[in-house]
Amino acid sequence: MTSGSEEEDNKSLEKSLEGLAEIGTVIAAAKDALNDDMVARMASALSEGVTLLDRLTRNQELVRLLQNLDRPENKALLQGLSEALSKTSIELSSSPPAKGGLGNLVKQMNDPGTQEGLRILAILGRNLGESLRK
Amino acid sequence: MKILVVGGGTGGTIIANNVARRLASEISAGKAGITMLSDSDRHMYQPGLMYVAFGQMMPDELYRDQASLLESSIDFHVDPAENFDLDNNRVTTASGRTHDYDILVIATGSRIMPKNIPGLNEGSETFYTEEGAIKMFKALREFEGGRVAIVVGVPHKCPIAPVEVTFSLHDYFKSRGIRDKVEIKYHYPINRIHSIENVAAWAEPEFRRMGVEYETLFNVEEVDVENKIVKSLEGTEYQYDLLISIPEHNGAEVIINSELGQDGWIPTDRHTLMMTGHDNVYVVGDTTDLPVSKTGSAAHFQAEVIAENIASVIKIGAPVTEYNGKVYCFIEAGFDKATYAMFNYDFPPDLKEPNKSMHWFKVSYNKMYWSSVRGLL
Repeated sequence: MTSGSEEEDNKSLEKSLEGLAEIGTVIAAAKDALNDDMVARMASALSEGVTLLDRLTRNQELVRLLQNLDRPENKALLQGLSEALSKTSIELSSSPPAKGGLGNLVKQMNDPGTQEGLRILAILGRNLGESLRK
Repeated sequence: MKILVVGGGTGGTIIANNVARRLASEISAGKAGITMLSDSDRHMYQPGLMYVAFGQMMPDELYRDQASLLESSIDFHVDPAENFDLDNNRVTTASGRTHDYDILVIATGSRIMPKNIPGLNEGSETFYTEEGAIKMFKALREFEGGRVAIVVGVPHKCPIAPVEVTFSLHDYFKSRGIRDKVEIKYHYPINRIHSIENVAAWAEPEFRRMGVEYETLFNVEEVDVENKIVKSLEGTEYQYDLLISIPEHNGAEVIINSELGQDGWIPTDRHTLMMTGHDNVYVVGDTTDLPVSKTGSAAHFQAEVIAENIASVIKIGAPVTEYNGKVYCFIEAGFDKATYAMFNYDFPPDLKEPNKSMHWFKVSYNKMYWSSVRGLL
């Protein structure tokens, strides 16, 4: 005859053993599912991933760039850049190639959107120049 | 402070990368610089050669560009050393350039010397070079049965190799369904089947289980290529159909020519890893005359110690650590099982039962080696 607490202990032990047996089955199944090539490919990806992570995290300038891009105002810039790339890709595929000639250039330059784009590039260029001179 | 690393193998590469990381601020301030001299622009993962011999790896998997493995602050030259002038802290290279140094690391490694035994080069297969491993693979593919002999010269790189190749031969012939047509005989130069006592004690019953014959105290004197007979200095001989050799190794020729050590092995302090009589010269890996295995793992553990001490000598003027003789060798016990031997100056290895997980650890390490030489693992 066993007491209530002993019964509970036995049940708990039984559950633990079942858990261990399940983990053992999963490990055995994983071993059966894998082969040398799969293990080698996973190790290779892990090794290259670790190397890449190491290079990225030890590059202080890159870390600073990522920190800057993570600021809310710069996130908007990233979102704008992403949308612009997408729109550009669609426009390029649906419009005929540039005809060339000064007339067409002037026509392009008269477009307020083009002028705004040039203004952004000019501001970026000025700030980049200032940063590089520091 | 000029640090010159001569040799771009496992030990030299780990030291250069590790020191470059530890001295990053001194290097960027121009207070320290690291130069590496190597005889090749490629780095080979040498333990992979045995897998090539059994068709388990392709040769191109064993190589990376050396420059891609080095920290960008290391000044790397493919220009092998031709002469060491230790009295004047100067190394001359094949191109005629001279490199002065404050601290020198000699990591020139070892090379096989099959020509020391008459007939061995022509009469045997070996897996210690890329060409040799491919040739051995083809010889094995063509082999349909007969007597296979394994012979071993000393000293040699990777002490476990004779045992590993024996296990692999057994599994290879089994996988081709011709094991019953093959007689495998293992020959070893001392009076037990391996120089490490516990490895010998573990391997002996395994050999009996696989039906591998063995003969100890068999030092190869010559190979009669025409009659396919390998003869020992002890007066015994064996007629073979296929001869697999693990040839004797010597240190690099430049070490012998510069009179730094007999047969190319440099006298080295077992704890500081400094060349005897020179407090600014470190020696690593196969190049040392230490009583430890000539293996990549020994070079790795030594490299960690040397790099830490070079950095601490520069930063605080004194070394901070010592080498304890640590070696960690995987032992492939055939195609799908492995175990390992870890030991140091004080403790012998305690081998565990081989299993598949250890084999996969080794398979994984074959790829993770590249993180290891970059100084990450």
